[in-house]
Amino acid sequence: MDTAKSRELPRADVLIAIMGAPHTGDLVTSAFRLTQALLERGASVHLWTCGNATRLTQLSLGDDKPRNFVDWARAYPTTATLATELLSTFPTTLHWFACRFCSQERGADAHVPGIKLRPPFKFTDHLEATDKSFFLGVC
Amino acid sequence: MADTGRRLLIIERAYRGSVETQFADVLYFVRELNRQQGGMDILLRGLAVTFAAAHPAPVPALRIAGRRLDTLPDPRETIRTLVSEGAGVWAQDSALAEFETGPDWLQKGVRRASDATFPDWAGYLSVHFL
Repeated sequence: MDTAKSRELPRADVLIAIMGAPHTGDLVTSAFRLTQALLERGASVHLWTCGNATRLTQLSLGDDKPRNFVDWARAYPTTATLATELLSTFPTTLHWFACRFCSQERGADAHVPGIKLRPPFKFTDHLEATDKSFFLGVC
Repeated sequence: MADTGRRLLIIERAYRGSVETQFADVLYFVRELNRQQGGMDILLRGLAVTFAAAHPAPVPALRIAGRRLDTLPDPRETIRTLVSEGAGVWAQDSALAEFETGPDWLQKGVRRASDATFPDWAGYLSVHFL
């Protein structure tokens, strides 16, 4: 787990702030689709997760979801695995940040490698480091 | 009041996640309850009536990083499976009116629920909102 601390933030074309919770609607799926589409077209992207979205990249999720009783041998990747794969596929154009407060508040600050914890009061730095910001949902 | 000896499950909230949910959507839980309890009736209301559409939805798959993620929820297929496994499925006609485009829109085996014809709550062992 990295901490960005006072390091200069890289600039990016787009910030996608995932504020809404997983398992409530299409929000997280839309965030993954939008991120993939932007990165494939050569754009640079910052992701920021707040609230329950910080759980998307928990180390404790492991590589695969729990077994499916009706398709026992099939593997289903966790969102942490998908995040890791995105970061390794787009190592220079994707940066993924998680809110430290929201993570710690949920006892969920052990993220997979590559996720950078950031204090919430630095969020405005992230807004300024990108040309466009999308907010998805609310905490 | 006829006692059905079954349980009634009411689903109103549809599409609760896809990438993060995959196989473990609300109907996955219903399927297991149906198997363990020996019979379930399901009443679909609101947007959830689209679970019972006959026409297959586009294959739910996404590309994420270098992977094709094709293990996303497929509620129409799961409703088909539930009907074949003996679950009773009802769809509220006031919600169907929002989506139904023709006489073959609704899956075979799915019954319409209306003010005149509906699962009678009192006849069930229990009623669950999922």
